[in-house]
Amino acid sequence: MLSTKERLNADVTFRTKALVSAKPMLSKRRIDTLLAIAVTAIVAVTALFLLFPVVVTVLMAFDGRDYIGPFPPTELSTQWFGRLFEDAYIWEGFKTSLLLAIATTAAAAGIGALAALAISWMSPRLRDVVTTMFLSPLVLPGVIIGFGLLMFFAAFHQLPAFLKLFAGHLIITLPFTIRMTLVGLAGISQTLREAALSLGANERQVFFTITLPLTKNGIAAGAIFAFATSMDDVTISLFLSDFQTYTLPLALTTLIKSNFDLTIAAAAVAMISLTLVLLIVLDRVLGLERAMGHGANRIR
Amino acid sequence: MNVLELKDVTKKYGGFTAVENLSLELEPGKVLSLLGPSGCGKTTTLRIIAGFAAPDEGSVQIAGEDVGELKPYERNVGLLFQDYALFPHMTVAQNVAYGMRYRGAAAAAIPSRVKQMLSLVQLAGMELRYPNQLSGGQQQRVALARALATDPKIVLLDEPLSALDAKLRLELRIELKEILRSVGATTIVVTHDQEEALSLGDEVVIMHAGKIVQRGTPTQIYQSPADKFVAEFVGRSNWFHSTRSGQSSAGFTSYLTGDGVEIRAKSSPSGYNGGADLCVRPEHIQLVDSAAPEAPSDAQHNSMAGVVLDVASLGPDVHVVVELPGKVRLLAIRKNVGKITGLAPGQCVRALFSASDVLVFDVDWR
Repeated sequence: MLSTKERLNADVTFRTKALVSAKPMLSKRRIDTLLAIAVTAIVAVTALFLLFPVVVTVLMAFDGRDYIGPFPPTELSTQWFGRLFEDAYIWEGFKTSLLLAIATTAAAAGIGALAALAISWMSPRLRDVVTTMFLSPLVLPGVIIGFGLLMFFAAFHQLPAFLKLFAGHLIITLPFTIRMTLVGLAGISQTLREAALSLGANERQVFFTITLPLTKNGIAAGAIFAFATSMDDVTISLFLSDFQTYTLPLALTTLIKSNFDLTIAAAAVAMISLTLVLLIVLDRVLGLERAMGHGANRIR
Repeated sequence: MNVLELKDVTKKYGGFTAVENLSLELEPGKVLSLLGPSGCGKTTTLRIIAGFAAPDEGSVQIAGEDVGELKPYERNVGLLFQDYALFPHMTVAQNVAYGMRYRGAAAAAIPSRVKQMLSLVQLAGMELRYPNQLSGGQQQRVALARALATDPKIVLLDEPLSALDAKLRLELRIELKEILRSVGATTIVVTHDQEEALSLGDEVVIMHAGKIVQRGTPTQIYQSPADKFVAEFVGRSNWFHSTRSGQSSAGFTSYLTGDGVEIRAKSSPSGYNGGADLCVRPEHIQLVDSAAPEAPSDAQHNSMAGVVLDVASLGPDVHVVVELPGKVRLLAIRKNVGKITGLAPGQCVRALFSASDVLVFDVDWR
């Protein structure tokens, strides 16, 4: 026979056990819920953090006030855009930037594609070394590249600034085009080349009918990155421009220092719009091809 | 005249000899299977014939012409790749037409030839599809049509069915054979899958460590393997390693294994009496209830008592594992027809097989 105390003890033990076994089930679930909320919150805050400057810039660009008032604007107008297009200084910078970006993109895409092709033919060890070498501008601070180039170009007298800018931009955009082309090339299986060779096409014909068409997406993606990088660069351009030839980002930074008005915001909005249009057009072109059966060897 | 002649071909990769002194001839219209485990040199042989690898020694002739120095695109060899290697950015019709374009076909003749090839592989009407819109079996047929469209001297098939699932494989195997026969293509099938090799080939060549071990019809390969490697590689088999032999009479010898099993088989052809490796195909083993009247157990028959360990019914076949005294296991395959009289694990049975069904190989002392 158990005493009352013993029975009570047994009862308590039983209850505690029941509690202990029930509690983890609940708290486990609660932890999951809390985690889900936390993750969602982090994502939301990050998105807000990334988008907030863009939203502010876009709204401020349409500010109707004559002075720089606090955010948000009380009245809207397109006056800053009007001033933007009348501002010869910014307009000149934009023209240089656009010309520079187009030239850089074309050259970087071409050279990058050829370099990537050569790299893909190398032995694995050499391939690693050469790839690292070509991609090093990605990790090298722009200040160092810019300063180095400045010193280097000083050896040549009266080199046009545009040419210097072009060379500098080529160095920083090549990593993107090489990288993206390599990714594209990696998706082409060796048997495709061999199949084409066995069907009577020589190396050159295989390149133009198989390799190039299947790498096109990679090259185009690299070109987009190159264009965006060139349009955006300040650091290197700072070292290589002169008072006559300067890029849009440089013009904007100068403007901020001298007279701070919202023309800069309008210019930023114009840049964003240009980039968006470019992305949409390219996605249409590439996306269309994918729908037609492109890149199947990558899916498989 | 032989369509293909390899003479004493040797190919080394660094210190590894992939193919050694290999000679091979192939008559027109024949299908030859190159069968062997991975690393046996069969793929290297295929690459040498196609022109993707140059032999270090020896000569390669296609249709009487020495092609040793020719690039892949300078020899007319059709290739069917394991992964099909269809060009993903081209339609089915463009894929099939690709080879004709570069083999100098008249542009006007191409569309009708494409149509003809596609109807040959039963894909008429699929001209405008892209490869990723086709099933695996359809892709394979496009690849075959593409390889055959240039009317190649030799067609090389690299593991043609291995990427397909079991059911489709059987269907396509029959179809593939029919198509190859209908166009009279001289074909080499390279595979590690014995079913593929035995079913597709008029003849089978077994390769091992860069050399040809045996060449023969599928039946010859299976029923009279040239050596232990072939016997073990092709089909299923039960092996007994005998260390000494006992009495011998009228061409039959009784062999003793270390586990205490006695097997009667034909005397070793070399007359060596020290022992042998013995092989019994599972389908030659009959199982009877041990209570049944004693079967003949003379010099030409084997009869062993054992216990059924496992019975697996695999559709057409039933695989029965019997354990003999001394933990020796025996696989017997029975057809799954009629009544399989109560074979169940734990049952005592007698395993019967004729001494003439036992393959005898000299002990390999290497």
